[in-house]
Order: sequence, then C-alpha cells, then structure tokens
Amino acid sequence: MTCEEFERVLQELGASHGIEQEAHLKSCSACSDLVSDLNAISQQARLLQASEEPSPWVWNSIELALRQDGLIHGSQRERASTFAPLLNWKLRWLVPLAAAFLVAFGVLMHERGTGQPPLSGTETARLQPGEAAMPSDDQQLLNTVGARMPSMRAAYETNLRSVNAYIRDAEQSAHSDPNDEVAQQYLMNAYEQRAMVYEMALDRSLP
Amino acid sequence: MTDAKRQQGDRLSEAAAIERAKQGDAEAFETLYNLHKRRVYSLCLRMTANTAAAEDLTQEAFLQLFRKIGTFRGESAFSTWLHRMAVNVVLMQLRKKGLPVVSLEETMEGEEEAPRKEPGAEDPRLAGSIDRMQLQLSIRALPPGYRMIFLLHDVEGYEHNEIAEMVGCSIGNSKSQLHKARMKLRELLKTSRAEKATKP
Repeated sequence: MTCEEFERVLQELGASHGIEQEAHLKSCSACSDLVSDLNAISQQARLLQASEEPSPWVWNSIELALRQDGLIHGSQRERASTFAPLLNWKLRWLVPLAAAFLVAFGVLMHERGTGQPPLSGTETARLQPGEAAMPSDDQQLLNTVGARMPSMRAAYETNLRSVNAYIRDAEQSAHSDPNDEVAQQYLMNAYEQRAMVYEMALDRSLP
Repeated sequence: MTDAKRQQGDRLSEAAAIERAKQGDAEAFETLYNLHKRRVYSLCLRMTANTAAAEDLTQEAFLQLFRKIGTFRGESAFSTWLHRMAVNVVLMQLRKKGLPVVSLEETMEGEEEAPRKEPGAEDPRLAGSIDRMQLQLSIRALPPGYRMIFLLHDVEGYEHNEIAEMVGCSIGNSKSQLHKARMKLRELLKTSRAEKATKP
C-alpha cells in the first residue's frame, strides 16, 4: 500500500484501520505521524465545545418577535407576577433611577448626534393610524443605526415601538396603583428592555 | 444520576417543552432556547468571528425554528433540526457578504489538492503540543466550507450522515471536507509552531 492509497482510505474510514492500513502504519513513519497529528487535532477540537453564551438581549428580542407574531400566548404581566413573592416596597425607588438612566441615554445619544435631521414631515406621514410618533432620542438612535447598518433599521424600529408600547402599558398600571408591586416590577422590566435595545444598537453602531 | 438517565431526562423535558411551545407557552420557548443557545451561538461565533454578528445569526436561527415549530414532527432530533437552521442562516450570511464558500457539493475527483507532505527534515508530531488558542485561530483561517464541516463533526460531535442532512451534501463529501479541514489545520499549526520557534 502506498502513502497515497493509505490517505485515500484514511479519508473514507477515519479512525478505523484495516489490517493492510495497520501494516502500512507500522512501516511508514510519515503516515504514522499524520494519523497521530490528525487524531490530536480532532481530540483538541472536542475540548472547544460550546462555552460562550449570547447576551440576554438575544432572548429578549426573540421573545418580543414571537409575541408580535402571536406565537406566544399569555401576557407579560403573568410572567412579572412570578416575581411578586420576591418584591418588597424598597423597589419603588428604582423606578425614578431607571427613568434617570434612560434620560442619560437620551442625552448621550443627543451629544453623539450624527447631524441627521429630526423627524421630518415625510417620516411622520409614514406612521400608521393610531401609532404614536417616536420620541426624538429614539429617532436619533434609529438614524444612527440606519447610517451604519441600513438593513437593521427596520428591526430596531419594530423593537423600539414594541418596547415603548410595553412601557406605556406598564406606566399606566404603575401610576394607577403605586402600591402595586407587580406593576412596579412590570415597569422595571419594560425599562430594562428599552435599555437593552439601546445598548445593543450602540454596540453595533460604534465604529 | 447516571449520564444516560440525565440525558433521558433532558430528552423528556425537551419533548415536553416542544409540545408546550406549540401551544404558545412562553416558558417552553425559553426552555428550548436555554437548552440549545450555547451550541448554536458557538457555531455562529466560530463561523463569523464576530460576537455581534453571531448574536444576530443566533436570534435569526431560533426565530426561524420557533416560527416553524408547529410543523416539527420528530422525524429527526430537534437539535439536528435547529442546527440545520443555524447552518443555513450562517451560509446565507456568508453568501450575502460575498465571501467565498467552498461548494459543499464538490466531488472527490478534481478537488483542490490536499496540503502536500514536503520531504526534508523530520517534523515533530503535533500530539501534546497543540495550543488551544492557536487551534481556534487556525480554525478561523479555514475556508468557510471546511470550517463548517470541521465544527459540526470534530467540535460539536455530529456524525457524517447528520452533517450531510444538515448542510445538504453527500456523506462522502462531508468526509472529504473534514479530511481536508484537518489536513489544512495540521499545516497551519505546524507553520505557527515553526514561526514561534524562530522568533527570538
């Protein structure tokens, strides 16, 4: 058996060797080294199995999209209620902190400003009936995303509209009953999701 | 609990999660996501070498899967189905970027030559001296087609018949691509080792 024939069989059979191949290996140090090296590569590769995890926003985006598609039933409020036993009144102070965090994001986006024009009449006209106009900092963010990643603009706009609707809903519940801890947690979740969308967009937009 | 029992338990919980997900259960979707996110993300990350792109592709793969979950009948393993989605999503992305993807339908005849064994001084074996970081860098340097097959077989542990189903090639082609990937890696690792040896 020649070395070329051996390699052809090696490609087909992989780790298993017949008598002829074993005999060739005993007599050919080059092929023996080759088999040893390829086995070592394969063994080391197995140690590279998945160790990294995607960031939490990936699941949040998936969940948002599935809810928009109507593939997930049941309200997000039902999920928030699972946190109720863990909540205490001290969480209320986190609400204005979250709001301040979002304002800071808005200021940061304004300072980064890409020179893009504010929401134009044409953009306003594109709004669907009953759809709220987007806040100017959201528009700024979308313009930044659109400038760097045009194909992603629509996805981010959809995500922001969903998150803003979630915040409006949560704010209404929280304001109607400030003592409702479930509603407060609901609102916190909504702010966190919005912050995640901003963080994700900024990560991808920075050069 | 033995590994076999644990795996059986995982399969049952996955099967239950699939049925509940078909009914629109949010927790079921999240369970399925958590069970498979690392492997899908890891595949995407190793194919793109970019965390942002890998996360976008991971999201896309899971969304495609979840939107079709109502059609899953269990003919193949759920993880195989998911990885097939991930592979398709990655390959589409590479083609969109105009990156050369080695045709997975190349036949064994007329393929590019495998790296030749050069005569000359004896080259020490790689066994026992493969640097993990260097291996990861070398994998990144493989052509996308070789890299995909190598990742699915040697890193993720899929068999050739499963890989052939996932990527839409023949079993023979899968074996051929894997062999070439390993030969190329061998060449890259030896070159890297030689370069390090000559550095002051």
